Amino acid sequence: MFTSRTTGLMLVLPAVVFITVGFLAPVLILLAQSLRLEDGWGIGNYLAFMNDGLGREVFWRTIKLAALVTLAAAVIGYVAAWAIVETRPERRGVLVGMVILPLMISPVARTYAWLVILGRTGFLNVLITNLGLSEEPLRLLFTETAVFIGLLQLFLPLMIISLVSALENLPRDVVPAAQTLGAGWIATFFKVILPLTREGLVIGGTLVFTGSVTAYITPAVLGGSKVLMLETLLYQRVSVANDFASASVIAAILMVTTLAANRLLRRLATPRRR
Amino acid sequence: MSSRMGGLMLALVFLFLIGPFLIIIAAGMSAGETLAFPPQGLSLRWFWAVFEVESFRASFVLSIGLAVGATLLALVLGVPVAYALARYPLPGGEAMSTLLTSPVIVPAIIVGLALLRYVVIPLDLGIIPALFVAHTALLVPYAVRVVSASLANLRSDIEEAAVLLGANRLQAFFLTVLPNIRNGILAAFILGFVTSFNQVPVSLFLTGPGVSTLPIQMLWYMEFTYDPSIAALSALLALMSMAIVLVAERFLGLSRYV
Amino acid sequence: MSDAAFLDLAGLSLGYDGRPAVEALDLSIKEGELVALLGPSGCGKTTTMRAVAGLLQPMGGRITLGGRDITRVPANRRNIGLVFQSYALFPHLSVFENVAFGLRRQRTPKDEIERRVAEAVAMVGLTGFEKRLPKELSGGQQQRVALARAVVVRPRLLLLDEPLSNLDARLRLEMRTELRRLQRELGITMVYVTHDQEEALALADRIVVMRDGKIEQMGPPEAIYETPATDFVARFVGFENVFQVKDGQLRAGNGAALPLQAPVDGGTAWLAWRPHAVELGQGPYEGQVLGTSYLGQSVEYLIESTVGPIKAEAPAALPRHEAGRTVAFGLPPATAAAIPR
Ligand SMILES: Nc1ncnc2c1ncn2[C@@H]1O[C@H](COP(=O)(O)OP(=O)(O)O)[C@@H](O)[C@H]1O
Ligand SMILES: [Mg+2]
Repeated sequence: MFTSRTTGLMLVLPAVVFITVGFLAPVLILLAQSLRLEDGWGIGNYLAFMNDGLGREVFWRTIKLAALVTLAAAVIGYVAAWAIVETRPERRGVLVGMVILPLMISPVARTYAWLVILGRTGFLNVLITNLGLSEEPLRLLFTETAVFIGLLQLFLPLMIISLVSALENLPRDVVPAAQTLGAGWIATFFKVILPLTREGLVIGGTLVFTGSVTAYITPAVLGGSKVLMLETLLYQRVSVANDFASASVIAAILMVTTLAANRLLRRLATPRRR
Repeated sequence: MSSRMGGLMLALVFLFLIGPFLIIIAAGMSAGETLAFPPQGLSLRWFWAVFEVESFRASFVLSIGLAVGATLLALVLGVPVAYALARYPLPGGEAMSTLLTSPVIVPAIIVGLALLRYVVIPLDLGIIPALFVAHTALLVPYAVRVVSASLANLRSDIEEAAVLLGANRLQAFFLTVLPNIRNGILAAFILGFVTSFNQVPVSLFLTGPGVSTLPIQMLWYMEFTYDPSIAALSALLALMSMAIVLVAERFLGLSRYV
Repeated sequence: MSDAAFLDLAGLSLGYDGRPAVEALDLSIKEGELVALLGPSGCGKTTTMRAVAGLLQPMGGRITLGGRDITRVPANRRNIGLVFQSYALFPHLSVFENVAFGLRRQRTPKDEIERRVAEAVAMVGLTGFEKRLPKELSGGQQQRVALARAVVVRPRLLLLDEPLSNLDARLRLEMRTELRRLQRELGITMVYVTHDQEEALALADRIVVMRDGKIEQMGPPEAIYETPATDFVARFVGFENVFQVKDGQLRAGNGAALPLQAPVDGGTAWLAWRPHAVELGQGPYEGQVLGTSYLGQSVEYLIESTVGPIKAEAPAALPRHEAGRTVAFGLPPATAAAIPR
C-alpha cells in the first residue's frame, strides 16, 4: 500500500517548501554574503576579521572556552553518570529526571542565577567579605571564569544524559572482569569504559561543544563586553556598528565551526578497524 | 568507586545544577530595592511587582502565543513528514532528511539575522510573522524526531486493516494512526513549546521597540535595572517549567523523547 | 457451490520496485470453496494475497471477483476481508470497537452494530471480553478477534495469511477445526495461505502449491499428497527420497546412480518414496545407517547410500538397525509416486 512516491512527496512537500523559503534560502544568502566584497567576491572579509585583533581574540576565546567546558563536562559527566547508573533502577529514573529538568528551564533564568551568586553584592562576595577573606568585594562577574561556570551549568546535563545511556548499555560484567584481571581504576577507565562508551561521549561532547560555541545568553549576561564570544560579538557588530559584512563573516565562522566539530567528533566516534 | 563516594559526587553535581535556582527563589523574595543575597528581609512584593510591569506582561503574552502557534504549525508540517519517513520510500531520502533537520544544525542567531536581512527588510514583513516563521523552522526537526519515535513502534498493517474494512486512507490515518501516536504528539508539543518559549538567539534580531519576547525583555531589563524583579520572574518561570515537566513526565513519560 | 469462477486471477504479475515476485499467475476459485495457497517462505503467497485485497497494485494481469473486474478498484471498496499473520488489531480500541470498526465505516445503525458485533464475538467464543484491549488478550484470543473483525462485515471473500503461525501447536489444531466449522457455517469463500502442508491438507477443498512466484500444482488434497506433479511438490509434501529416472537408473543430484529395481513406464521422469515406502532389511541396495530417531509408532533411519542419504521408516516393533551398521534396502517402483515428464 505504501509504494507511491508521489504520496510521500506530497506529505513532505509543505515542510520542505517552508524550510527552504523561510530558513535555508535566507541562511545560505547570508553565508554567501560573507564572500561579497565591494568590488566582487573573495575572502577579504575573513582576512579582515582575522587581522583585526579583537576578532581573532574572540574566535580563540570561544574555541578555548567551549573546549574547556566540554572537557570539564566530560570529567564531571562520567562521575555523575556512573553514580546514577550504579543506583537502583527505580531511583535512576528520578535522578535522570532531575538532570533533565534544568534543560527545560529558561536559560535566561538559569544564567541570571549566577548573576545573583557572582555579583558585587552577590552570595559569594557576601561570603568572602563576611569571612574576612577580602576587604573589597571581588570582581567575579564579567570574567572568563564566570562564563565558563555559566556554560558548564547550562550544558552539563546534556553530557550526563548521553553518558548515562552509554553506561547503561555497557555489558554488566566488564568492569568487575577488568578488575579481577588486576586493572586499577585508571586503567579500567581508559582501557575498558572509555572505549565502550566512546559514542555516548562523542554525542554529549558534540552537544556541549557546539552549544558553547553558539551560546549567546551566558556570555551576554556573565561576560558582557569584556568577555565577548562569537555570538555576542556578532550581535554587537550588527546592533552597534551596523557592520553586516563582518556579521556575515562571524555567522559563517559559527556555521563552519559547528559543522567541523560535528564532523570531527563523529569521526572520532566510529572506531577505526585495525 | 564506593557507592558512598558516588553519592557525594552526585550531591555536589546536583548542588551545582539545581542549587542556583534555590538562590534565585530566595533572592526574589527580598524585601529590598536591589538584588542581594542573602535577601534583605523577606517579602513576596517582587513576585507581585513583575505582573505590574507592562513590558513583561506584553512580552509574556507574545511569547506564549508565539510558542503555541509556532509549535502547532511545526506539528502540522512535521507530522506528515514523520509519517512519510516511516511509511514511504522517499525521493532523495538522505538529502531530504538533511534538509529537514538543518534548522537544528545552523546556529540560531544566524537564522534570525538572515531572516531580518533577506526576508523581513526586503518584504517589509512584520516582526511577529517573522518571529513566527523563525520559531517554526526551528521546531520542525523536533516535531519530526519526536513523532517519528512514537511512529516507530506502530506497525503499518493496522492502517491496511482499516482500509480493508472500508476506511479511506485519510480515515485510516485519523482513526488508527493518530490515536496511537497521540502521546508522541503531545510530547512534541510540550518540547516545542518549551523550546520556543525559552529561545533567545533566533529572536534577538527579530524583536523591536514594543515587540519583544519575554526572555529578550528580561535580558534588556537586567542590563538597566538591578532590582530583584528578574530574580522573582526567573523563579516563576523555573516553577512553571517544572510544573509542565512534572505533569508531562507523569502522563507521557516525556524523558523518553528528550 | 456453483461451477463458475468466483475469484479469477488471470496472468497476474506482481512485484516490488519493478522486481518481479509473482509471474503470470492464473487461478480460479469457485464460490464457497476453501483454497489453500501452499509454498515455502518467500514464494509469493503474501504478495498474491495483498494484490487480491487491493493493497498492492499488479504490474500486469486481471483480478475478477463475482464477474466484475476489480483490478483497479481501491482496497476499501472491494469488500474483501484479510486476516493478517500479525493480526493487526487496533491497539487503542477494545475488542468491541475493533470488531465494530468495519460496520461503523458502513454507517450501520447503532442497534444493528450491537447485534452483529455480539454475534461475531460469540461465534469466536469471546463473549464477555468485549471491553478488553488487544494487549490484554492471549495470542489465540487476539487471533479470534481478528477473525471476528474480518467476518462481521460479511466480506465476499476472506483471505487468511498464515493466520495460525503465531500460535502454539495445540492451539493451532483447535483453531484449525474452528476455522473449518466457521467456513461451513458462513459458506464464505476463503483463500488460506500457509507454508505448513499438514494444515493445507487438513483444511482445504483444493490446494495450490506455489514456488518462486509460479503455480507448481493445484488439485484436491488427495491428489497433491498422493500424486505430486513435480519433484518440488513431492519433496514439499513429504516424499523424502526423490530421484531422477534416466536410462534405467536412479540418479542423484551429485551424478551418482543406482540401477532401477524394476522397469518403469517410459514417461516417468522422477520416482519419489516416502520414508515408510522404502523397504528396509532386504532389497538390492546397501547403505550404512547414519542415525536413527524414535518416533513412537515407528523408527526413522538415515542411511548413507551411493545416491546420497536415504530416509526410511520402519515399524518400531521390528528389530532395530544400529547406527554404523550396513543395511540392505530396496526402492521398489511400485511403492513410489511416479512423476511424469
Ligand atoms: N515489501 C517488499 N519489498 C520488496 N520485496 C518484497 C516485499 N515483500 C516481499 N518481497 C519479496 O517478494 C517475494 C515474495 O514474498 P512474500 O509474498 O512475502 O512471500 P511469502 O508470503 O510466500 O513468504 C520475496 O522474494 C520477498 O523478498
Ligand atoms: Mg508471507
